[in-house]
Amino acid sequence: MTKEYEDLKESLRQPATPEAMREAAQRFREYERVDAALGKRSRPTLVSLGLGKTYPTEIDFRDVPRELETNPAFYEQMQKIMREG
Amino acid sequence: MIALPLHDLPTRSASGFLIRYVVPRTGPPQLVGPLDNKALFSNMSFGDVVIGVGHGEPNRFYGYRNQMLLDVSSIPDVRGKVVVLISCQTARQLGPALINAGAESYIGFLEDLVWVMDADSASNPWADKFAGSAMMPVVHCVNTILDGKVMADAFAVMTTEMLGNAAVEDDEVMVSCLRFNARNASLLGNPAARVRARPKVEFPIPPPPLLPYIT
Repeated sequence: MTKEYEDLKESLRQPATPEAMREAAQRFREYERVDAALGKRSRPTLVSLGLGKTYPTEIDFRDVPRELETNPAFYEQMQKIMREG
Repeated sequence: MIALPLHDLPTRSASGFLIRYVVPRTGPPQLVGPLDNKALFSNMSFGDVVIGVGHGEPNRFYGYRNQMLLDVSSIPDVRGKVVVLISCQTARQLGPALINAGAESYIGFLEDLVWVMDADSASNPWADKFAGSAMMPVVHCVNTILDGKVMADAFAVMTTEMLGNAAVEDDEVMVSCLRFNARNASLLGNPAARVRARPKVEFPIPPPPLLPYIT
């Protein structure tokens, strides 16, 4: 596991306060920067088959930090997902 | 019955893999893209299996452009049928409601079904090897059902392969998604249920044409 991903997971252990959300957004930016440098895929997008959520069902990796920073529901969803990794 | 919407990136990605690897084994009705609508879904015979990709909520399942296809308050005649919903959260309420309405067995998910795709593969989604890590276990689950094997086997194929892919996947977000999806997969009803075996299709066959994805 990369250090950037470990840092991201660690940041997501906090409750969804504005400070924690800002920190997680920054950690994801760093993870995305490293991921993008590997050139594995051209436009990585996090998708889901949910409906009626306050966050989009398709989020370009570059837009994940903005969503993490501004949307507590998305932050909490990412907490649930990252808990498994 | 197979219902495969194609109106946004997640439905295109999930439906794309089933179009490539499952549809050739199924008979009509095959509701793909705009055909995956309320009117056709409600009036077509389901056969012995209902396979649906689409957006979902705990109590509802949606088709093309999010037309509501299934709702806990108006369940169609699913008696004796096997239902697979590749969707979010329908195992919370809709899955149990389908079983209560007489469906033989159901596979779906308790939480959001999440994965990472390459948006530049939207016009040939089956070629997206990243999404394949999440979607090929679903394909193999459905094909196990179409082989005439019991639902418990199909469910085990899916969850085991998701966890196996997570163990070798080098994309860390996808590893988390795969484990999350495997943990939230749900099999309800009769685990020994099975449907009539369909003929196997030798792959690769030429991929079907898909309209380009325009954002």
